[in-house]
Amino acid sequence: MTEPTTAPGADVVRRAVSVVDLGLQASHAYGREDLAQRLQPVRRSLDDPGIHVVVAGEFKKGKSSLVNALVGAAVCPVDDDTATAVPTYIRYGEQVQAYLLYPEDPVRREPVAVDEIRRHVTQENSPSAAYVSGLAGVEVRLPRTMLASGLVIVDTPGVGGLGSAHAAASLAAISMADAVVFVTDASQELTAAEVDFLRQARDLCSTVVCALSKTDFFPAWRQIRDLDTAHLRRVAEIPVIPVSSTLRARAVRVNDAALNHESGFPALVEFVSQRVAGGGVVRVATSAAAEVVAVARQIESQFQAELAALSDPETSAKVVAQLTATKERAELLRVAAAKWQQTLGDGIADLTVNVDHDLRARIRQVIAEADKAIEEADPADTWPQVEAWLKSRMAQEMLTNYTLLRRRAGELSELVAEHFRDASGVVLAELGIYNPSTVLGQATVDTELELERQGMVTQAWSMMRQSYGGILMFTVLPAMLLHITVAAPVAIGIGLVMGRKGLVDEKKRHLQMRRGQAKNAVRKYCDEVTFAIGKDSRDTVRRVQRQLRDFYATRAEELNRSNAEALKAAQEVAQKTEVERQKRVRDLQAELARLKELRERAAAVRG
Amino acid sequence: MSLIEQTRGALMRATTVYRNTPSAARVAALTARLDEPLRVAIAGRVKSGKSTLLNALVGERLAPTDAGECTRIVTWFQDGHTYRVDLYPRGGRSRQARFTRDDGVLEIDLGGLTPDAVDQLVVTWPSRALRTATLIDTPGIGSLTESVSRRTWELLTVEDDEDAPADAVLYLMKHLHSGDVEFLRAFQDTEVSRPNPINAIGILSRADEIAVGRMDAMASARKIAGRLATDPRVRRVVQTVLPVAGLLAETAATLTETEVQQLRRVAALSPGDVEDLLLSADRFVNTRPELGVTETERMVLLERFGIFGIRTASSLLRRGVASTASELARELLDRSGLADLHAVLSSLFFERREVLKSRSALLGLAALVRSTPAPGSEDVAGEVEQIIASAHPFNELRVLSALRAGWITGKPEVMTELEQLIGGAGTAPHLRLGVPGDAGSQTVRSAAFEALSRWQRRAENPITSYELALASRVAVRSCEGILSSLVRAEA
Repeated sequence: MTEPTTAPGADVVRRAVSVVDLGLQASHAYGREDLAQRLQPVRRSLDDPGIHVVVAGEFKKGKSSLVNALVGAAVCPVDDDTATAVPTYIRYGEQVQAYLLYPEDPVRREPVAVDEIRRHVTQENSPSAAYVSGLAGVEVRLPRTMLASGLVIVDTPGVGGLGSAHAAASLAAISMADAVVFVTDASQELTAAEVDFLRQARDLCSTVVCALSKTDFFPAWRQIRDLDTAHLRRVAEIPVIPVSSTLRARAVRVNDAALNHESGFPALVEFVSQRVAGGGVVRVATSAAAEVVAVARQIESQFQAELAALSDPETSAKVVAQLTATKERAELLRVAAAKWQQTLGDGIADLTVNVDHDLRARIRQVIAEADKAIEEADPADTWPQVEAWLKSRMAQEMLTNYTLLRRRAGELSELVAEHFRDASGVVLAELGIYNPSTVLGQATVDTELELERQGMVTQAWSMMRQSYGGILMFTVLPAMLLHITVAAPVAIGIGLVMGRKGLVDEKKRHLQMRRGQAKNAVRKYCDEVTFAIGKDSRDTVRRVQRQLRDFYATRAEELNRSNAEALKAAQEVAQKTEVERQKRVRDLQAELARLKELRERAAAVRG
Repeated sequence: MSLIEQTRGALMRATTVYRNTPSAARVAALTARLDEPLRVAIAGRVKSGKSTLLNALVGERLAPTDAGECTRIVTWFQDGHTYRVDLYPRGGRSRQARFTRDDGVLEIDLGGLTPDAVDQLVVTWPSRALRTATLIDTPGIGSLTESVSRRTWELLTVEDDEDAPADAVLYLMKHLHSGDVEFLRAFQDTEVSRPNPINAIGILSRADEIAVGRMDAMASARKIAGRLATDPRVRRVVQTVLPVAGLLAETAATLTETEVQQLRRVAALSPGDVEDLLLSADRFVNTRPELGVTETERMVLLERFGIFGIRTASSLLRRGVASTASELARELLDRSGLADLHAVLSSLFFERREVLKSRSALLGLAALVRSTPAPGSEDVAGEVEQIIASAHPFNELRVLSALRAGWITGKPEVMTELEQLIGGAGTAPHLRLGVPGDAGSQTVRSAAFEALSRWQRRAENPITSYELALASRVAVRSCEGILSSLVRAEA
């Protein structure tokens, strides 16, 4: 096989791991357990960056075969008829293991034998069967180099066609993914529904590739590839990669490099592991480095204040006075009246109202349209269509509503970050007023600032991701996909024995009744969905609020601690003998040099 | 009086009422249709294999199967004495169009018109297959080009001021897709029976592609078709679902001796070598230059048979199941599912053609009197309504669709029996009674008597639901029909 044996971005991660470990050591050594605690989750994210690649596409296009061929193992059941009903998450593990995931908080994992998976994830006739059984997904762990960098491949259900409620579920998954592999086959060019889906996917996720499957079977695949490329050019730059899962599976089995090349998979593997996994890993490593820089700065500032206090008694008094003043300012960061806290509180209130209003307006519109459709035809004939239409409309509206929530929450998080940065920047600057790094080369400072900015972006992103954590997919969508019950649309009297007039009258009377029933069913369904979504989005908003608040409160706490430590050290200066002072100055200078080195190494992590 | 005679009576009354009015031609057309072959439309999504299936049914490669412009126009194929093509421009007079044949396939000269400007093409072609049914090839729905989809909708959704062009529909589905069911709704009219699974058959086309050409592809497709046919949503709109590997069927129906010779060379290889050769379409074209079949010939073979077809045909030849071209053609027809389709078409459509044609004519009349009242048209309306409400074949169809829609409920075995008895699987007495086709008349007669008393009991049983009681009365009438036909046959 010609595939890379080392994970891409591995050296960047290695460098990041070593600076984070140094940062942890330093935090412990200087007695700053709070900062060590800040670095621990960062360290964990380097072990498992969780870069999600979502595999999506129309029903029966060979998504599961493609995933199997990609990882070189038959983990996703492939069947001519039944379809995958729940998402399968494939990630790295020392040995082959599989779990069933249940939608609880936190997600409940139940071990399962790999060959038992089929029974759980395939759809047996009823689209809602899997949801009724309460299963939210399946996780499979495989010892594969490609996955070792923290790549997670998600095989999504393709049931019900791209215009359906299931498609909205796929899009919801895509909105949280790092990349999308869209699968279409070489039997025909992309359909209007597929192009629409790709357009939406591209809006939600910047990295999208289109895999053209079954090239072994369809002789005209080159022609289809060119047609598809032309269609896609109108949407965005989405590369088309022709692949054959059959050839790839055989190539892996008989270890035939030429056949592997023919299967087209090397290009897809390259895309997934270099561009997606590599890019994602570098992003996570960069964010980790930014955290180390921030931690090093805190300690440096604290030490610098102490160093200044040590120089002479006059400066010492000034430093103490300054730090006492800063203490109040730092305290202010913690209280509810702090500007960032107010921004957060007001923002959350606005967000809740706006999202709720948007949702209600959308659902009113859907109900109006449904009523119109019901009035125009006989529900006895059209109910199945109305039901399918209603579900997919609601799912689409819900997705749009959720996208709004996501966007607004992202904006709010950035605003809060900015206000916190402004206020904390003043504190940090005062604390490290004698910081010689201000006279350091401007280039270093720029690198660090850039790093900090990127770190913030990645952090906000991963925070968002944690807040949503699949809640939408686990609780709301399953509820939506269940059947809508209409009380017997059925009493339609066959009217065989009735006379002509009776027949017509009977029809009319029953028709009105059926329309009434259908409208009621639509309202009941919409009410239930509104309730479920409303609760879900309120919960999400609350989680966002709590996370942002805790995050910045902890940062404020750290600053207070740094200030307090510096103040304490400065006040103790007077009690020290000259010899002790001299020694402390030398120690501090040595520590500062080390911290500076750490900061520089962190800044260089990206290479 | 038989249904078709009753229908003729209503049409005659309408002819008198509408004589010397602009609608006279419409009534004449409806009347003429009663004596013409059944009209069967072939519909489905873009690239679902409509033209390919049409060619397979005709047994000639007439309809172009590529994505050329003629597949974007509604095209009629009817039997006749001469070979000719008539072009009907939108809002203009029809004229004869020039055509050539390229390797059998018709290339029609639109005379400078764009496909959008052509309403329809009518191909007249002397053919035994077309004598049984006139076939209508429709452009697909769900294509990226909006105007192509609209044409199909126009053909299949009928307004009051025109008549349904088709009596029956073959609906091609590539594997059920929610959009398809919605599309089928277009056939559901509101008079004879509401959701209308009576004049449509679903075809799981391109069946070989479902299992991506594996040798067991057809078995797999049959399983899926069987499941689809029992899906309540599908049952509402089509009578049954059959798998057909369209490309293989078309090729089998038009197989040439040269092709068989080429396939023999493939069959001469060892099974392992054949597997390697057919690993992918590219490999089939590019490897084993010593085979004695040129690259171009191989590409043509692929186009004609597909990977699945070449695998199947070469295996049949190697195992000696078939050795001559005609034997191979027969085997392939069988394996493509076309033979089954022929059988089902004849029991569900052709044997019931008088009912289907009457139905089209009566619906047309009802629409006419609704949209264009004239002195005396009230009586026509009354007569039409009376026939629709009382003719037994329509009652059967009505019960059938009510059953299919799930409006009549009961024990599953009772429902199955009812459906069979009213002609759900075909109208021949043995099919209705569920006895073997070669059963003697005595067996059939006693089965009919048993069924009669069973359904009489159900009809009169006070705890039978209202709907089932009505349906039982229809079933009783069907049993009486069977018995009287047996008596006539013996007389």
